[in-house]
This record gives sequence, structure tokens and C-alpha cells, in this order.
Amino acid sequence: MSRWKTPFTWMATVIVACAPAPTDATTINVFAAASLTESLKEIAVAYEKRTGNKVVFNFGASSFLARQIEEGAPADIFFSADEARMDSLEKKGLVLKGTRKSRLSNSLVIVVALDSVLQIGSATDLTQTRVKRIALADPKTVPAGIYAKQYLEKQGLWNAVAPKVVPTDNVRAVLSAVGSGNVEAGMVYKTDAGISKKVRIACLIPSGEGPHISYPMAVVKDSRQLDAAKGFLKHLDSDEAARVFEKFGFIVRK
Amino acid sequence: MYLVLRQISLAVADFTIEVDVELQSQVTAVFGPSGAGKTSVLDLIAGLRRPQSAFIQLHGRVLTDTANRVEVPTRLREIGYVPQDLALFPHLSVHQNLLYGHNTKVETNHLFSFEHVTQVLEIQSLALRSVTDLSGGEKQRVALARALLTSPRLLLLDEPLASLDMNLKSKIIPYLARIRDEFRLPMLYITHDPEEVRALCDEVLVMDRGRIISRSPAAEPRWSGQTTA
Amino acid sequence: MTAEEWQIVWFTAWVSALSTILILPFGLAAAWLLARYQWPGKSIVETLISLPLVMPPVATGLILLKLFGRRGAIGGFLHDTLNLDIIFTWRGVLVSLAVMSFPLLVRSARVAFEGVNLRFEQIARTLGAGDFRVFFTITMPLALRGVVGGMILSFARALGEFGATIMVAGNIPGQTSTLSLAIFQSVQLGHDADAFRLLGISVVLAFVAVWWSEYFMRQRRR
Repeated sequence: MSRWKTPFTWMATVIVACAPAPTDATTINVFAAASLTESLKEIAVAYEKRTGNKVVFNFGASSFLARQIEEGAPADIFFSADEARMDSLEKKGLVLKGTRKSRLSNSLVIVVALDSVLQIGSATDLTQTRVKRIALADPKTVPAGIYAKQYLEKQGLWNAVAPKVVPTDNVRAVLSAVGSGNVEAGMVYKTDAGISKKVRIACLIPSGEGPHISYPMAVVKDSRQLDAAKGFLKHLDSDEAARVFEKFGFIVRK
Repeated sequence: MYLVLRQISLAVADFTIEVDVELQSQVTAVFGPSGAGKTSVLDLIAGLRRPQSAFIQLHGRVLTDTANRVEVPTRLREIGYVPQDLALFPHLSVHQNLLYGHNTKVETNHLFSFEHVTQVLEIQSLALRSVTDLSGGEKQRVALARALLTSPRLLLLDEPLASLDMNLKSKIIPYLARIRDEFRLPMLYITHDPEEVRALCDEVLVMDRGRIISRSPAAEPRWSGQTTA
Repeated sequence: MTAEEWQIVWFTAWVSALSTILILPFGLAAAWLLARYQWPGKSIVETLISLPLVMPPVATGLILLKLFGRRGAIGGFLHDTLNLDIIFTWRGVLVSLAVMSFPLLVRSARVAFEGVNLRFEQIARTLGAGDFRVFFTITMPLALRGVVGGMILSFARALGEFGATIMVAGNIPGQTSTLSLAIFQSVQLGHDADAFRLLGISVVLAFVAVWWSEYFMRQRRR
């Protein structure tokens, strides 16, 4: 045993000695819902300039990201597209108490391909036979899909629409499915519709009618950059950030 | 002049085979050391290889004429081939092997009938056996019979007795003689055993490094010393 | 095991079987040509056939998505003239499985064909057999072990296919959900018990496939 100890100790010493000395710049890992991609990236630029810290994003379906955090992925901040995903993390004790905030909201739209000739004035039109397939972010797990299903159920349309649903991994995948022409329609957030040049909004779900959409954000308890994370979260809560979110079409609550 | 081989040119590993000959004897031996290209010449005649240039004519029928892009496919050449390793189909019975090329509708000559061929080669009792069970001599006779049953117009034999011991050789040679006499087929017979040449062949071509270096009646003794066989 | 889970198992098995049958004539033809013939550009063909084996499955899936989508070269034609959709349907699953398992069949069959002594085929020709007869009476019977091995391998590969399938067919419950896709989704949902049940089925299916192939091979050995 002692024969092994020496080389390993020696290696470990060398590695530790070679490790970069801690600098002032910290890297913050943000796991965020796919629909926040453009807005968060823009907000991060200003923050990075001011503080010298680096923000690294992991965008995806909130359900998938939550699962990764549960499995120990090194996230510092979680920005979810619905309360339920954040709840599940909080229940597991993975959220830093007192940092959870819900300021952001969104609304749903129905999109079709840019060159589509279909007339979809309301969700009811989704039951037409000409609409063969509808892409939704997986209504079992992804917030965008869950919201869409909630809305369709409320309208009494879910049973008619369900057989046509093509579930996708995240809300952005709905955009590409609709844009490629492989499905007739899809439901995404209003903020997503502007991102793809290949789709257009067929109809808006009025926020009064629609489900209650809420984007909570929080610091992950096991974060190794607690101070930096808290700092960035504060920045996300600022008026400066709110302006960017609103620019992209999000609804900011005060 | 039943078999005409003119301007044959075939590149093989170390050299180019070049042959220009017209055959008329019934049984012609092709004698020479291994690697001389003897098997390749047989393959060419059978249409199993593509030469750079060749004119091959059998019984007046053009089989290959590269100048005019004529190449009769192997299956239509009516040439029987007994290769060195016999190539008896291991997944078929003796009976199935024998009948593989045999088409009773086409057979016009009773000489090539199933009854006659199996009788001449004395293999009637082997019919249902598996090919792998046969002795060396039995395999030899089955391979010969299989080729004969296609009613060929030329028989090519590649060292038919090479893998047999002296005892077996002396047993098979009479069968080959019978084939020569009963069926009166022209035969091209590759060997490097002078005894077989003397026992069965009328004429002998000596080949070395792709060329025919001499041609003489089998009875004359001088050809056997011409190569390091 | 729920009824839904059995449906997934059954669907996976029959689409994989259908895929194997579908690629058989093309795979054998390709293997035969590669084994017996030379032609300029042969190495390009070999490389193209091997691509799905080496490329990331999702990359292959992306190519298929573009090709078979309603706006794609093949998909567009099918949609416009035959009103047939491939993407997001069971046919998409079939196409993904077929493409991903094709190289395995070709490789195994090619090796099997190359293992058949050329002399047998040549002598068969001197005995009057044409190409088809040579292939079906000489080459195939002698190569059968390797060919069947290749088929089983293809089938097993199809059973486990994930990357291309998820891109081309999605994971539509009851329509395109295969065993691998269902396991992935169960894991995502945190339904570990379901995932392990389905995993168990996968193992059993793979085990049965391999056992059956070994049994068959044993019979052929004379």
C-alpha cells in the first residue's frame, strides 16, 4: 500500500500546485428554460461587462434541467418555466431558502408555418381534420406543453386534440417542427414565435383565458459560487433586466 | 483444329501469359511447373477470367474475341471443368451435385445420360451419400461425372490426380482412359506427372512462365526434361 | 406491466422485424456486389454504407429528417403524390431502424459471401448456372450462417435504436414510442421503476434474440 501512496501523493501535490490560483472572475452556471435563451443571453452581456464574471448557460426543457440538478449537475441558478419544476427541487432541499422569486410571465400562441394556408383563428380550429398533427412540448413534463394542455382542457378541446399531438423535448423543438412543415400547427410561448423566421403566429391565446404562466428563478443550494450567484440573481430581478425581458415579449410583474 | 487460342494475353502476378496455339489432338496435356500459368489458361478458356486480349474459338464457335468485344458467358460455353480441388458442393448430396448441370431436355446424346455416365465411372451406389463422406477416389469420379453430365464439348482437367497416392492414381487412370475412349471428348489435361501424360495424352504442350515453350507428341521422350517440374 | 407498456414492447419488436425484412434484399445485393465485384468508386460506396455505423445516430437522424420531411427530396414526393407522411409516424421509426441497422447486415453478409470459395461459384457457372441460380443455390446456402447472423445483429440493433428515431419519429405515445424512447422518457419523468421494468424487457428481448441466433448457428454446423 505504501508503495502506491507515494506516487499518488506526488501526483496530487503536482496537480494542486499547478491549479490556477483563484482570480476575481467567477463562472456562474445558469440552467434556464429554453424560452429564455435570447433574453438571458443579452442580459448576461451587460452583467459580464460590469462585474467581470462569466455566465455560462444551459438551456433546455425545465423538466430535463430539474432532473439534471437532482442528479447533481453543477448549477448555480435555476430559472424554470413553471412553478411545479421549482417546487420539486425545493421539496428535495436543492433550493437556497429566500432566493426564490417569480417575476416573469408569458402568454401562449398557436403558430403555423410561414407559408401555411390553414386558417386557425382560435384553438377550436385545431380540431379541424386538415390539422393532422400538432406539436407541443411534451405535455407530460415540459412546462410549455403542460400549460398548453391545461388551456386545451379548460376549453374542452383536449380529447379531440390529444391523438394529434407530437410531443417534443422542449418548446424550441416545436418551432422547428412547425417550421419544417412536418406538423400543421404548434403551441409555443408568444416570446418564442418571433425567434423563428419559418413560422408565424396564427392566433394569440389571451392572457385572461390562458393558463397562469410563471417563471420562478432561484439560487441552487449546492452552488459553489453563492455570492456571485446571488449577485446575478439580483441583476435578473433589476429594472435593467426587466426592460430586456419586456423587449422580447415577456410580462414582468412587480 | 477444334480449339483455337490466338493472341491470348493475360497479366498475372509476375508475368504475362501469352499463348497462341491451335489444338487438334483429342487429349492434349499441358505440362509445366507450378506457377507457369496453366490453370489461368484453363480459366480463360472456360470464361472465368477476363484477358487483356484473346481470340478463343471452340469447334468453330467464337467464345472470346476481345477485338470485337465478344465474350460468351461461361454457362453457355458447354465446357466441362474439373478443377484441382474438385469443388464438389458441400451442401448438396452426391446426387444433387451430379444433376446440378444436367438438363435432360437438352441431352441428345445417350452417352451423357445419367445412367451411362454413372455406369462408366462406377458411382451408381454413391448417389445419396454426402459429399464429405466420400473417399479421395470417389470424389474424383463424382467430379468427373458431374462435368460429363452437362454434355460438354470440351473437358478441362486441372491436375486431376495430383492429390491422390500412387495406388489411387493407378485406379483412376483407367476411368480417364474410359472417358477418353467412350465419350470421345477433346480434353485439355494439366499435369506435372510425365506418367499420366504418357498413359492418357496424345500431345503435350510444355508451359513455363506463361508461354508454351514446346509442343510434341506425348510418345516422344524429350519434352519431359525441358522444365524443372 | 401496463397495457401501454406491452404495446410499446410489441410495437418495438414488430417494427424491428419489419425493418430487418425490408433491408434484406438491398443488404444482400449490396453485400454481394461488394464481395464479388470491383468498380471505380467502390470505396466511396463502402464508406457511404458504413456511415450510419460511425456517425452519431442523431446526425444520421437529422439527415433523414431533412430527406423525408414534407419539404425534403423524398418526403416531399411521398407527401404530394401519395399523401404519405414519414416524419412523426411509425413509418419514420421504420426508416430510422432500417437505415441504422443496414450497415451491420451488409458487413456480416459481405464477410459471409467472401467466405464462400469463389471456385464453387465458378464451377457452378461451368455447369450452366446463371447469376441468379448461382446466388440462390450456391452462394446463399453456403453463406447462410453469416447472413442469418447479420440479420439477427440488424434486428438487435433496430431494437435498441434511439438517436435517429427520436429525431425522425419523436416519441408519440401509442404511435412511435419504442422501448428505448420509453425508457428515456421514464428516466426524464423520474419514473425509475417504470424505466427499470422496461430495461428488464430490453434485456430479455436481446437475450432471446442472441440465444436464438446461436441455436440456429449450432444446427447448421455439420
